Amino acid sequence: MINLKIKEDRCIGCGQCVIVCPVQAIKLVDNKAVIDQDLCVECSVCLRSANCPSNAIKREKLRMPRLVRNPFSDVISTHKLTGIPGRGTEEMKTNDVTNRIRHNEIGFSIEIGRPGKGARLGVVEQFTIPLTAIGVEFEKESPLTALLADDKGHIQNDLKNEKVLSAIIEFKVPYEKTIEILDIIKKLDKELDTVFSVGIISRIADNGEIPVMDLLNEKNFSIRPNAKINVGLGRA
Amino acid sequence: MTHSLHRKGTVNDLKNDYVIIAMLAAGINDKSVYADAKQRQLRVGKIMKNNNPTNLLNEAGWRLTSIVSGCFSDIYDVKNVLKTIKKEDLGISIVVSGLISEIKDLCQEIGLKMHTVNLSLGEFGKKSILPSEKILEITTMCGHHCVSSQSIEYFVEQIKKGKISLDKAAEKLTAPCICGIFNTNRAKQVLNELIE
Repeated sequence: MINLKIKEDRCIGCGQCVIVCPVQAIKLVDNKAVIDQDLCVECSVCLRSANCPSNAIKREKLRMPRLVRNPFSDVISTHKLTGIPGRGTEEMKTNDVTNRIRHNEIGFSIEIGRPGKGARLGVVEQFTIPLTAIGVEFEKESPLTALLADDKGHIQNDLKNEKVLSAIIEFKVPYEKTIEILDIIKKLDKELDTVFSVGIISRIADNGEIPVMDLLNEKNFSIRPNAKINVGLGRA
Repeated sequence: MTHSLHRKGTVNDLKNDYVIIAMLAAGINDKSVYADAKQRQLRVGKIMKNNNPTNLLNEAGWRLTSIVSGCFSDIYDVKNVLKTIKKEDLGISIVVSGLISEIKDLCQEIGLKMHTVNLSLGEFGKKSILPSEKILEITTMCGHHCVSSQSIEYFVEQIKKGKISLDKAAEKLTAPCICGIFNTNRAKQVLNELIE
């Protein structure tokens, strides 16, 4: 297993890599920077942004299962499934062209480990098992969907202890199943040992209204005042 | 590629923080289907560049990825970008991230029909492990969370000691966000609040 490393003989102990690490995986020990390999998510931020004055940070070849950390953490890593850099998909960004989410459907993106805390992939099962039982349609092009080992929502066993910066579960349901998903979110809000962020995708009705708003209000969810809006300028 | 959805802050804070993303749909309207698709997307990048972006994915990135993305502090610049893209009929999917009410008004004003919305319900779970809201206002501006919370604390201390200027600190915090959606102006404002 080979990964991000700091060459001890070169490190001058300036601490720049300690400052930039998004998951606090680098510490100074006896004036030398040391990466805690268990906490490191292989995001490469230290490599790109620490401006190491002695060129002590090195990336060597990653192998499975540790390799899986990289596409879920490193912004420039392109997953072979999505073909786009990062850990997500095109989702609603091209919905005016792809029609992935239709008028009677609601899309969800549940991002475990966001904001900024990271998560072990095994935690994902706490969502994917109940979501599978409900019968959600997982996004086929999502890197996370590719890690599901079976039709019960289990994550591949050898990957469960791998830590990533965040893992996005992308799926859609018919509008009438939305309440069931909101109930799962409410339940796991109290149970999960890390943080997660939730995004909801909805088509906008011809009169400009967002149909899912009523359901969110009914379940007492607070909706942020800012959102991502596809303004319908795409053309197939 | 960009996670511009979960940016934190009050309505007032967010009035000066907008992200525009232009994306080609793989296999539907990208270069595998239309020979000029990439050129039209690059044109979107130029339009964004000409309208005072606070930050912008670098031009090499426009060519290497399926996305062109940038950040704006003034909604009038966002309006000009959208108006120009509409007028030139470039056919590229455009997503604007920001205050729903403002984007809605903007679309009505320039005759755009909003197609799909991605709402944020915020964070859940063990929120006690998160840094303060002010720190999150800065870290969440990099959608991939490449900006660390301790780097903000570090620069706040450096500014207080007079070892770095506010502008330089904001610039350094911007560096890890290679998508160009980290709003340097807003980072400066939040840093200013933190040093007070």
